[in-house]
Order: sequence, then C-alpha cells, then structure tokens
Amino acid sequence: MENIQKIKNIIEALGEHKDSEAAISLLTELGTNSEDDEIREMTARTLIKKNTHESLRVVLISKGKGINDLSARVAMASINELLALKDKKEAIKILDDTIKMHSDEEVRNTARSVRALMTFS
Amino acid sequence: MEIGKLSLHKTINAKNIQNENTSKENKLTTNPFGVSFKGNVIQADVFESAKKSSPLNNITEKSKLFASAVVSGINNFNESFKSRINSIVSFGKKVTSDFMDTIERIGNTEITFDIEGFKNKLFPDRQYSVKYLSNKSVDELKGIWTDIESAKG
Repeated sequence: MENIQKIKNIIEALGEHKDSEAAISLLTELGTNSEDDEIREMTARTLIKKNTHESLRVVLISKGKGINDLSARVAMASINELLALKDKKEAIKILDDTIKMHSDEEVRNTARSVRALMTFS
Repeated sequence: MEIGKLSLHKTINAKNIQNENTSKENKLTTNPFGVSFKGNVIQADVFESAKKSSPLNNITEKSKLFASAVVSGINNFNESFKSRINSIVSFGKKVTSDFMDTIERIGNTEITFDIEGFKNKLFPDRQYSVKYLSNKSVDELKGIWTDIESAKG
C-alpha cells in the first residue's frame, strides 16, 4: 500500500472517529497543512462532512485552507462538498459572518461567492 | 725311551687340546661391553645369599604382600565406589532440582498469543485499513500519520 493511501485511510478513520473534537484538531494540524494536494483535498472534504462549527470554520475562514486554498482543485472540491451538504445552516451562518467581519478582503470575496452558490443550489 | 716319547706326546697333545678348548670358548663368548675378556663367561646366577631363608619365611612374606595388595585393592575400590555413588547422588539431586525449577517456571509462565500482531504480520496492509484504524485512538493515529510522513522523507 502506498503512503498516500495509508494517510487517506487515516483521514477516513478520523472522519468516523468517536472523539470528534480531537479528530478535527488532528485534521487541522496535519491534514490542512500537508504538502500534498490530494491529502489537503480529502482533509477539507472530511472536515466539511463533519458539519460542525469548528470543522467548518477551518475550511471557510482560514486563509490558504478549504475554499481559500491556493490549489483550485482543493478549493473546488471544498465548494462541491459544501453544496452537497444536506444541512447547510451552519455553513451559511459562518459564511455570512465571514462576509461581514473578516479582516482579509480576499477571504470575504471568496465567502461571498460561495454563499451565492449555496443560495442557488 | 718309548715310554718317554709317549709321555712327551701325551703332554703335547694335552697342551694342544687345552689351547683348542680355550680358543673355542673365546669364539663362542659374546662381549657386550666391547672389552676383551679371556676366560669363561658365567651363564647363570650362581650367587647365593649367605643367609638362606626358610620356605616358611618365604610363604609368610608372600602372604603379607598378597594381603597388603588385597587391602589396598579394597580401599581403592571403596574410594572409587564412594566417589561414583556421590556423583550419582549429586546428579540425581541436580535432575530433581532442575525438574522442580522447570515445573515452577511453567507454573509462573503466562502463555499469550498476540493475534492482532500475528494478523498484521500476515497481512501488512491490514494495519492501515480504515476498519482497523477506526479502533485506534486519535493520538495513535497521529503517531502513525507522523511515522508515514517521516518515512516519505
């Protein structure tokens, strides 16, 4: 088994883990900072699927992570995952707060675009 | 005159015979020391002790020798028998103590079989399966992740 597949399996296991808080912390620490696009993409997907305030904050308002990732592949995968959520309430609330209050304009613009997509989806 | 001739002839013959005998003996004798020796060599021990011992004394001395030999033989046998018995006894004691130690060790030994480890060795990828990883704690998963990252270089 390749190393990347092993890490993917760890991320998947963390997505199903009972200790959700610790799992999100580990995904934020190692997954979102990985050099590998594939790992960052999978981490973002997993965090969005968790659909908690803490996990969504990481991928929506952190610069260089989730929808703000420099890799278009990671950003697009994150947006697709957000659009696929059944319960979008928490995500929309965080996006609204980001549009209103975030200090970085680029982050605010990205949040606005995603918010629009979610409204029409 | 004839008697005189005869006696003279006899004298000469006797001298000749004596000379022949001496030369024959000299020829037959071997001298191991390389020293010339004229005369007869004594072939057998002819010396006799001045004090002759009686046959009874001989028997007594011989029996004493025999008795001492028997006694020393018995002593030697006893010693060797004792040492053999001792070595057999000590061997038996050692075997018994070793056996008891083994029994004690067996009594104190816990036999465990790491089935998970065995399965992981049999199927190396199994320990990276999602099902297997899901049962690990987050700290353990962090350790595994870090190990993989460091192995990647």
